[in-house]
Amino acid sequence: MNWNPSPPDDGVSRRSFLAAGVTGATLATSGCIDRVQSVVDQGGDEQFSLSITTVPADADRQNVRIARRLEANLEKVGIDVSLDMRSQSELLEAVLIEHDFDCYVGRHPADYDPDFLYEALHSTYANEAGWQNPFGFTNMAFDTHLEHQRRTDGDERKRHVEAVLTGLARAKPFDPICIPEEHRVARANRFDGWDEGHLATRHGYLGLEPAAGVDRLHALVTDSRITRNLNPLSATFRNRGTTIDLLYDSLGTEHGGDVQPWLAESWDIAETTAESDSEMADGEATRTVTVTLREGCHFHDGEPVTAADVAFTYKFLNDTSWGRAPVRSPAPRYRGRADVIETVSIDGDYEVTITASGGREAIERAFTVPVLPRHVWLELIDQHATGGDFTAPQGRWAVVSGDNIPPIGSGPFEFESRSEDESLVLTRFEDHFTLRDGVDLPEPTVDEVRFSVDPSSNSSITRIEDGGADVTATMLSPHSLPRVPDSSDLERLRSPSRTFYHLGFNVRNAPFSNPHVRRAITQLIDKEGIVTDVFYGNATPVATPVSDEWVPERLQWDGDDPVTPFAGADGDLNVEAAKVAFERAGFRYDDNGRLLGGY
Amino acid sequence: MLAEVLIQLVVVVGILLPISLALFVGRERLVRTRSEWRTRLKTAAPTIAVLLVVLLINRFARQRAPRLSREIGFHLTASFYNIEGEFILLFQSIATPETTAYFSSIYVYGYVFLIVFPVLAYFTLPDTRMFRRLLTAYALNYVIGLVLYIFVIAYGPRNVMPHEVAETMLFENKPQVQYLTREVNSNTNVFPSLHTSLSATVATFAAITRSTFPKWFPVAVALAASVAISTMFLGIHWGIDVVAGMLLAALCVVLSDRLVGRWSVSELLGDRLEQFEDRIPWQE
Repeated sequence: MNWNPSPPDDGVSRRSFLAAGVTGATLATSGCIDRVQSVVDQGGDEQFSLSITTVPADADRQNVRIARRLEANLEKVGIDVSLDMRSQSELLEAVLIEHDFDCYVGRHPADYDPDFLYEALHSTYANEAGWQNPFGFTNMAFDTHLEHQRRTDGDERKRHVEAVLTGLARAKPFDPICIPEEHRVARANRFDGWDEGHLATRHGYLGLEPAAGVDRLHALVTDSRITRNLNPLSATFRNRGTTIDLLYDSLGTEHGGDVQPWLAESWDIAETTAESDSEMADGEATRTVTVTLREGCHFHDGEPVTAADVAFTYKFLNDTSWGRAPVRSPAPRYRGRADVIETVSIDGDYEVTITASGGREAIERAFTVPVLPRHVWLELIDQHATGGDFTAPQGRWAVVSGDNIPPIGSGPFEFESRSEDESLVLTRFEDHFTLRDGVDLPEPTVDEVRFSVDPSSNSSITRIEDGGADVTATMLSPHSLPRVPDSSDLERLRSPSRTFYHLGFNVRNAPFSNPHVRRAITQLIDKEGIVTDVFYGNATPVATPVSDEWVPERLQWDGDDPVTPFAGADGDLNVEAAKVAFERAGFRYDDNGRLLGGY
Repeated sequence: MLAEVLIQLVVVVGILLPISLALFVGRERLVRTRSEWRTRLKTAAPTIAVLLVVLLINRFARQRAPRLSREIGFHLTASFYNIEGEFILLFQSIATPETTAYFSSIYVYGYVFLIVFPVLAYFTLPDTRMFRRLLTAYALNYVIGLVLYIFVIAYGPRNVMPHEVAETMLFENKPQVQYLTREVNSNTNVFPSLHTSLSATVATFAAITRSTFPKWFPVAVALAASVAISTMFLGIHWGIDVVAGMLLAALCVVLSDRLVGRWSVSELLGDRLEQFEDRIPWQE
């Protein structure tokens, strides 16, 4: 039981302060008082306290259950824990934008390629807001390997990725917990071809074969964020960006782990590193890439898609203020991907020449960012970049976060309407290049895709079963899986997952800046038990955040985490052993078994 | 979906109401109401108007409030959880399929019946004061509740300890009810429990009028207690929300006594009101 009034020696504790907040006595002092920063600056006599930020069960039941299991174990080793509940977008706001958290439990969108770790961990991004390095992690050795894995391909790259993964498993700026299985359910006899593409990518919605007379796809989501904001660059409203992939095209498209030309007709990446005349100022070698665009493509507002839009996109992602603010304002999404592209020069309407500071794999990954219409976004910048003292707070300013951005791309579906917290309707873009004769790529086969917000996984299953919708676009929560009836009217869909549940630390602040503290905390996480009890076996416990083929031998899961094993057995924490880990990290206990700040 | 749930609700309450009117109110009062309803409505019209306006504002504001709430509200989930911990899980000890079915029905049907029935019952009284006080108390509950919802952002126990309350959780057993609840509320509106405060308001009025409706009093108290327990049993509210709901109910009952009859609309508006009343359809 957690019925636990504050200890008598707590002084004017946070609890009583918060209780005062309840009665309204402090209503005017602060906008958020729950997100308590760790208390360690009290000469070591205060109890070690931390707050775990996570989302409510309505948004993701597994997150809060993992957080509570961690909370229970943290309390056992004498740490004062508070559980901070935020909506999905508020959690991302706190973690990605404000960097106002101690640690959080969440699901990382990850990507098809381990290059996402560059964005997640490189020191360059430690002070930026967005998906780039939310942990504030800085480490020279990491940077070196992250850069090398970017510049190389094949086995050499694999070695550098392994070095990063090994370092990650030791230093723990974040700790991957498990990779969930992705289950969805569809109505049988309405569409064929569900297994052609992943429903978290554009390919899940293209190339479907509707039954005779079916011209609408009705998908259910339990996350209402797409009905409130469709800004492709918003870090807080996007998850994996599936709808953005439908509304926007990218030069290349990832399908089954490979990137193939999409909006680009073709590209040619120079095999060898360019000669010294094209080297960057800091001596980094670059490659030259020629990209040829498909001709005659249009944005949804009728304007043509040209090389100028491609050049604009990469330059804009690097500085969304377009040079108007005193400091650059890189985008809070796609930052790591686009960073490989150094320059883009326009060679006619349909050809660009790119210099890039990466290997083939990193360059192709950069081709998966959405191509933005130059005319629309320049106008937005004009609208918002006004006044003599204009600044564009990075990751926050209106153009990259606002919900009034015209959702105009050139993608296979165009925006039709949205109704807040209810639905988002897209219609087929009749002018899309995949609909042309002679283009052998999956195309939009329905007139309309409607995403309806449904309250929960359970109600979604019932709704599909009753014929109220075609498919659950959001992956089902593991606890609902037994509710999927064995019925010939339903088709169960299972796709490989790249996302992972993890515990992330804000390493900017003590005591989480100390890797020994982070390791001691991660040893309180019983990943095996979490997979069994929280996911009912529908997940794989992991020590690394990448898919199988990238996992080095020594980091394979062997019944426990090979680097930071759970400090206990069969789900029961060995409290004494766990406490020793904290003592080794330089902390001490008082007579009541409370862990003290240690500083 | 929504329509289905609504129809069920209307049918159940539609069956309960006439039975209860026969049982608790009696034929005599109903007959008299038939001849006096126009004058009673006229006297109570301003109060009814106030309640309708409040309900309208409430409906509109619940759409807008979350945004405002995010700007100026306080995140108190952690505080509630720190203060009372797993207190509400005490109710899990009485969880059986029967009690779960009982409290689920109470939360949805019992509650709606409990707050609709007294409106009809008090309307059958020749003196409309109690009727007006009840409506005023309802309006106050909604207004004060809405303001608190804006300032307090908190998720209920089901969102913090989903697994522990899974067995009794209403939405787990009847996921379709969510189509109804999401129309009227957002999941951060838990403090105070308006289910509790409105039910406690009804129970308090039932106590005040127990000499008039002696049989209704014990029923109202039992139902109100069940509603309050159901909110915790089903994992929807914290104990703190329920306590706050009861305090809010007490406040609203007291205020309704002070406010009702304090201003006379007909005195304020004088003749103009009479002209206006001529145009009201029920005068026909």
